Amino acid sequence: MALDERDTRDPRLEHLYREAAREAPPAHLDAAILAAARREVGARPRALSAALRRWHVPVSIAAVIVVSVSLVILVKEEGGDRLGDARIPPVSAPADKPTAELTQAPPAAAATAEKQVEAPAPVELRGSREDALRSVSKPAGTPPPAQERVAEPLRKPVPASPLRLEERTEAPASPDLVSAGRVGGASPAPLEQGSAVPAADAPQAKLMARAILAKPAATDRPPVWQGLEKEPPEKWLARIEDLMREGRAAEAEEMRVECKRRFPGHPLGQASK
Amino acid sequence: MLHYRDGDAAAFDVLYARHKGGVYRYLLRLSRDAAVAEELFQDVWTNLIRARAGYTVQARFATYLYRLAHNRWIDHYRRNRPGAVVSLDEEDGGAPVDPPDDREIPQDVALDSRRQAARLMELISELPAAQREAFLLQQEGGMSVEDIANATGVTRETAKSRLRYAMSKLRKGMQEWR
Repeated sequence: MALDERDTRDPRLEHLYREAAREAPPAHLDAAILAAARREVGARPRALSAALRRWHVPVSIAAVIVVSVSLVILVKEEGGDRLGDARIPPVSAPADKPTAELTQAPPAAAATAEKQVEAPAPVELRGSREDALRSVSKPAGTPPPAQERVAEPLRKPVPASPLRLEERTEAPASPDLVSAGRVGGASPAPLEQGSAVPAADAPQAKLMARAILAKPAATDRPPVWQGLEKEPPEKWLARIEDLMREGRAAEAEEMRVECKRRFPGHPLGQASK
Repeated sequence: MLHYRDGDAAAFDVLYARHKGGVYRYLLRLSRDAAVAEELFQDVWTNLIRARAGYTVQARFATYLYRLAHNRWIDHYRRNRPGAVVSLDEEDGGAPVDPPDDREIPQDVALDSRRQAARLMELISELPAAQREAFLLQQEGGMSVEDIANATGVTRETAKSRLRYAMSKLRKGMQEWR
């Protein structure tokens, strides 16, 4: 044994080696290895997961119930909204009034609007949607000038959106009226609707506005191209571009399809995007 | 290691702090390349971490750890120098290490320990791989001949022979510094 020791050990050499050998692994390796070790321990199944498994089914059932009830309530509200809309009789705007007069609400239309404002829940719901629309799409206290209000419907003849109480007071404008720039002048309110989604708004605001508008717009509304049936394709394309700028992509697409159908040979240009 | 196996992450920190230097230097001297040593070093510890769940006490932990390191080194060695496997296992591979003739040592000047250490490192790096490994396991792992045999998968006599050759060459190389 002593012979072994003598052959295989040398205190002086060993001491010298220990003095010289000071290298250590770099710090980043230390960090990586220690992190891996902790991850490995952390990845082990814990006792907590058993408790989670126990609660998995009840929590899932509760979540399903909450979602279902929310959906039922929402559907009921939507149904009430439509019923309220159906009770509102459409009122035609006088077709032969001069443009200047159209900027003022006729007494009959105003009275109808007031009556409908007094109507119960559906009207309030629509009002809240409108508020939401305004809040996301337009800064408060900056109503468009009167000139713009008159001009807006020329670009956006989107009548009969059930979102707006005031729109219910108007019948969908006839093509002649639209082309003559005398659309929907019974009250300034519908004109505000046109300016409620300005083109310069943020995409998020557009999305929210679209989401708010989407469902009512899809139900029983006249076609987007109403009033342009006899117009040349250029006006259609201009209208499509307007819709796209306003973020109303679904309506723009709908109109583009109709335009393509009506004017199959006509190039779509920017509207094709 | 048993604590770590049972989920005590702090136990690994202690193990790592205790053995990281030795394992690193063992791989560094074997590979003679810092980048390779770092790669192998990380692999060794990663393998240890992965093998945590199945760890059972069969030998000293250091022996177990250096066996992992040895196996990783052998894999690397064979992959990079497939024809050199035999030389790793030979008892007295390579020519005996003689001090370079052109090295002029002033006889009347006491040489500092730094220069001696540098010479020792040079001699170690010139040892055949198997002998170098035996020496490193003894010095870095604090292993006995039996442990070295266990870690490297050879008989006790083989391990002892390698260690003896290594010591002999180092002594011879350092003789003039004594």
